[in-house]
This record gives sequence, structure tokens and C-alpha cells, in this order.
Amino acid sequence: MENKKPDVDLEEIFVKYRPVISFRVKKSLGARNPDWEDIVEEVITNAIEKIQKGEFRGESSIGTFIYTITSRRIVDYIRQKGKVLKHAPEPADYPDPQESVENKERVELMAKALRKLKPKYRKVLYLYYYKELSREEVAQKLGISPRRVSERVNYSQKLLKKFLKK
Amino acid sequence: MKDCKYEELIDQYLLNKLAENQKDRFEEHYFNCSSCFEKMTERDELLRVIKKKGHTIFKEEFLTEEIRGASLAERILSFLTPKQWAFAAVSAALILVVIFAFIPYFKTIQPTFQIVSEETRSGKTIELISPVMDVNVVPTEFKWAKSDKELEYKFSIYNNGNVLWTAKIKENFVVLPEEIRSLIKAQGKYSWQVKAFSSQGTLVAVSSKVYFRVAKSE
Repeated sequence: MENKKPDVDLEEIFVKYRPVISFRVKKSLGARNPDWEDIVEEVITNAIEKIQKGEFRGESSIGTFIYTITSRRIVDYIRQKGKVLKHAPEPADYPDPQESVENKERVELMAKALRKLKPKYRKVLYLYYYKELSREEVAQKLGISPRRVSERVNYSQKLLKKFLKK
Repeated sequence: MKDCKYEELIDQYLLNKLAENQKDRFEEHYFNCSSCFEKMTERDELLRVIKKKGHTIFKEEFLTEEIRGASLAERILSFLTPKQWAFAAVSAALILVVIFAFIPYFKTIQPTFQIVSEETRSGKTIELISPVMDVNVVPTEFKWAKSDKELEYKFSIYNNGNVLWTAKIKENFVVLPEEIRSLIKAQGKYSWQVKAFSSQGTLVAVSSKVYFRVAKSE
């Protein structure tokens, strides 16, 4: 096989991977961390540079290539901050303090929709997400199968989507 | 959109329930799977709203949870209102005070024997042998059944309920002294009784009180 530079659309990296990288960085460093946006920019710049230098040879997928760069940058950041590497950084706090007004309205709207859900769906969401019980524990508590728990969560999400589209 | 096998890890990832290696694998996966990433962001939004607004969304659930999930102690506590509990506690305290105040009093009271011939009593009794009915002459000797144990007897003779004479003896009989015999008059109503005491001085047996009359005095 000819050793040819794989064809990568740089535009795709900006559009498709920015939210993925952002999600990963925020999840690892916490949304309260003021540096997260800078790190995302650094990862994107770094990825483009590497691709342009021909470091991406198509041995793995572009997703894995960007994932590796993102993970390394996160590890470096944590090391710089003198945090202990072995332990994962604190997960992002809920809620995100940087949310926009528009986002706040959306949150209110979703909360309203959730309040309107039938009790059987709300109960599952309460135990599964709010109380953070396992799927099996929720199933046991409500006397339904674990599969039914997942179904109810998925269905709630669908109803919510419908409501938000209105 | 076809379901991906990694989808089931979304919730666990968001709730930080995945082991480190599972987490890495899943992270790598969502960099490659736009379907999982999309679903994850939707779930993440839902989770954030629930975490942020849960206290208003799940008011009903909080309430039922409190009732259903209440422990036995909580159930007992909720059985009465705080006012009723206070009243019950005060009443119980008063009852205890009364009981404890009287316990020492009860302890000091010695058992009293109000014995009459018709009375049926439980416990040990002493059988009186003679005299047990009206007699012609003043009896010189009073006799009762001997106990199998070493006891000290207290003999008492009464006239109309008043003690005429008492004596403490080891034997199961007593001989009335002359001066006492002279006090016994014809047609008078007399009675006698024997009580037995252990070597420690505790009352262990009592006879019934036997009445007798004497036809002729000395």
C-alpha cells in the first residue's frame, strides 16, 4: 500500500470535534475551571499542526487521534497544576455556572416539562438521576425490570424532546 | 440510527460510575461515534436540569419517599404529633415518679396477718391440736402440730381480741402459768394463735385463730 497522507478535512475538526473536545475537557476539569476554553483551543491548534506536519498517518481513526491529543493535554494540565495524576479530577459540578440566559430559559422549560411527566416516568428519573441509584436498584424499588427502567428513561427523554420542539 | 453497544455506558459515564479503564475506552469511543456523543449530550442536559431543578421537579417524589422510605423509628415517631408525644412523655414521667416514690414505702411494709378461723390462706399454716372447741375447765396446756424444721413459736392467747398473754417457746406446746389461768373466766370468749419464726427471726408459718369458751372457771 502506498504511504500516502490521509485526506483530512480540517474544517471538520473545527466543526465536528470542537463540541466533543469541549465536553471531554469540561468533564475532566470541571465546568467551573476557567481554563477549559483555552485548553480546547490548544487541542484544536495542536491537532491541526500535527495533521499538517503529517503526524496523522491514518493508523487510527481521526477521532482516536484527536482523543489522544485531548487526553494528553488534560494530563499535562493536571500535572502542571500539581494535582495527583492517579486520581481523576473532580467531575464537573452541577449546574454549570457559566450558562447563558438562553440556556437558563431552556433549563426552566425542561424543568416544567419534567414536572408534567406522568408519575411513573418521573419516579424513574428521580431515583435514577437525582438519587443516582443503579438501574437494578431502581428496578427493585419500583418492582419493574431493569430493562423497563431504561425504557422509561428513554421514553422520558423522547417526550422531553417533543415538548421542547413545540 | 442504529443502537450502539456503548450507549448503555452513557449514564454511568455521566454519573461518574465507570471504572478508569472503562471510562477511557468510552471516551475514545465517543470521539469516534457521533451517535453516542449526540445521545450523551442530550442525556447530560437532562441530568443537569434534574440536578439543578430536582428540588422543584420531584416535590411529589420527596413526599412519597419520606412516607414509604421512613424507617420504623420514623414511622413510630410520626404515629403521634409532637404535642401528643410531649403529653405522652409527661404522663409517663409522672407515672414513673409516682411508682418510684411509692416503691420504698411498699418495701418497708411488713406483711400483716389478720387471721380469723374462717380465713383461707395460702402458704404454710400451723395446725392447732387442742383446745379447738369449747372446754369445760380452763385448759392447762395448748398444743399444736410440730414443724419438721427447727422453729421458734410464739404463742398468744386473747380475750375478746386483746392479748392476754404471749410466750416464745421451742416446743410445740405451752403450759399456761397459774396467774394467766386465773384470768380465764367462765363464759368468756377466748382465742389462741401460734406463729412460727425461723432462726433469722422471719415469720414462716401462722396458725388460724381458734376460739373457745370455758364452762367453768378456776
